Amino acid sequence: MVATLFAVSIVIFLMVRLLPGNIIDIMFGGDAQSTPEQRAQAAKQLGLDGSYPEQYWSWMSGVLQGDFGNSLLSQRPISEIFADALPITVELIVLGLLIATVVGVPLGVISAVRRNSASDYASRVGGLIGISVPNFWLATLLLIFFSRVFNWVPPLQYVSFFDDPWKNIQEFFMPAIAISVFTLAITMRMVRATMLEVLNLDYVRTARAKGVPRRHVLRKHALRNALIPVVTVVGFEVGVLIGGAAVVEIIFGLPGVGYILLNAIFQRDYPVIQNATLLIAAVFVVVNMLVDVVYGWLDPRISVS
Amino acid sequence: MGATVGRRVDSTQTYGRAPADLGSRRERRQPFAEPGSAGRERQAARGVSTAEVTAPWEAVPRRRLISARWRNPIGIVGAGIVGLCILTAVFGRFIWTTDPNAPDAERLLGPSWDHPFGTDDLGRDTLARVIHGAQVSLQVGAVAISIALVAGTLIGLLAGYYRGIVDLLLMRLVDVMFAFPGLVLAIVIAGLLGATRRNAMIAIGIIITPAFARVVRAAVLEVMGFPFIESARALGAGGFRIMVRHLIPNIVAPLIVLTTVYFSTAILSEATLSFLGLGTQPPEAAWGNMLSTARSYIDQSVWMSVFPGAAIMLIVLGFNFLGDGLRDVLDPRIGGGVGDAVVNK
Repeated sequence: MVATLFAVSIVIFLMVRLLPGNIIDIMFGGDAQSTPEQRAQAAKQLGLDGSYPEQYWSWMSGVLQGDFGNSLLSQRPISEIFADALPITVELIVLGLLIATVVGVPLGVISAVRRNSASDYASRVGGLIGISVPNFWLATLLLIFFSRVFNWVPPLQYVSFFDDPWKNIQEFFMPAIAISVFTLAITMRMVRATMLEVLNLDYVRTARAKGVPRRHVLRKHALRNALIPVVTVVGFEVGVLIGGAAVVEIIFGLPGVGYILLNAIFQRDYPVIQNATLLIAAVFVVVNMLVDVVYGWLDPRISVS
Repeated sequence: MGATVGRRVDSTQTYGRAPADLGSRRERRQPFAEPGSAGRERQAARGVSTAEVTAPWEAVPRRRLISARWRNPIGIVGAGIVGLCILTAVFGRFIWTTDPNAPDAERLLGPSWDHPFGTDDLGRDTLARVIHGAQVSLQVGAVAISIALVAGTLIGLLAGYYRGIVDLLLMRLVDVMFAFPGLVLAIVIAGLLGATRRNAMIAIGIIITPAFARVVRAAVLEVMGFPFIESARALGAGGFRIMVRHLIPNIVAPLIVLTTVYFSTAILSEATLSFLGLGTQPPEAAWGNMLSTARSYIDQSVWMSVFPGAAIMLIVLGFNFLGDGLRDVLDPRIGGGVGDAVVNK
């Protein structure tokens, strides 16, 4: 995992330096009167002076101590910006995951158990529809629906869940639903496919033949085994949810990490771009590692290397 | 002899007949070379069924592919939707000739005979803009997928064929790419390169490449296990020849599935990027940026938000249906997880 994080940071470092062209030139645009001193000073401020290894080292040594540098535009320490933004994004992702699993797993189980072709078909089609809906469109439609039908819009000012839970839920339920639909559909398909496999296994059929009641079989054997692949999907899905969160944060005006990143991109705030990308990637890597651990724990046949 | 699509089977059953193998003329002259279609006919005449003799790797003739599809309504519906969208993108502007960029009509109208999809905030006809958006989406999707196809297949081939240090390095690279959430990486790449349609194509192509690379490598490793590769090498075939004439034709099936499945991902990513302002820029019509503008007008016109989004959903749905159907026919083992989750949203 450390090696991956290391490689990821190098990739981000190179991307920010190689992709946009010469950042100093972009900053000084058409300003023909910029002196070399001004440009050198800007370079120093951005951390763009010195060779690449030097720059990388000064960046990473700061990061490892919790110092991400300052935003170009606001001069605020980036670690502060992150501290404000992270809870929002985390809450969005947790809510999205919650909705997706709480609704998706039972739906998957039901559609696997009811194997007659009508509801099987409906769930297959429904699953495909679920992965096709653009989350930003769904969010817009939800906003339209609530503003037209109920004459209601979500509150604009962010409050933490611990300060005002009801207002917080009001702010978060629509974006959470919007980003959860895709993951819900994936989870449902996954659970259904695994349940179908498990239900056909010999030992399950033996149990049924012995007369064990169906519900018991479901709970003790099928469900437990069917949930294991769902855990692996969760790792992947957090990545999808992070992307979805970035989009809905823009739509609903929630200043989370995605919102910060997108604004930084448009304002060419390179320190923020670099560090926010690192933060997001690092979170993703850590989550996937945790998922691997949980997976290894759930399925004793897998050993976690 | 065209490429046939092979059905992957458990590679522990080896040493049966090899997959359809283009072979070189030199190889065909060898007494132990695989018989071509004439040989198979002879076998049929001898009463040996093709299925028996060609197990474990059975070449699925094109005929069967087509007839299998008839039993798969989801795939057919998907193919129909995709066909419709392609036709709309290519011919739509000759049928509905209104200029998508001309602010001629009254603003923010709902659907009517003159403007079946209504008009937008500047008085431009929404149907014409949606048709133009179809062109943009399909173009970006096609280019991005092509990038991923070429790059991913190259990486997978090299890694699977040469193994060793090449495999290690390339797969490490792929692993690092997988460490980024797909959409975030696309946003960062497109954002850093500059917000244009061309850069969006590149960004989306880059984020889909790792998925192609992994699947191609796995398929290549499987095909490499067959003895005909060894015999080709013994006959003096070099790396390039083996890759082009033996490996590629036998990994066509997973490639077809991947391409279809990830096309929907590419289109959805394009829509998301242009929605965020990182892809096709206004005033050019793309479904994503149409929705973004519509967001400011939801009080005045619901219709502006409905049609572009519905168009996105329809085309993504079509490709997903098609991909599901193709997967059933060609390669059920790729499973329900691939392509669904890697880069969406």
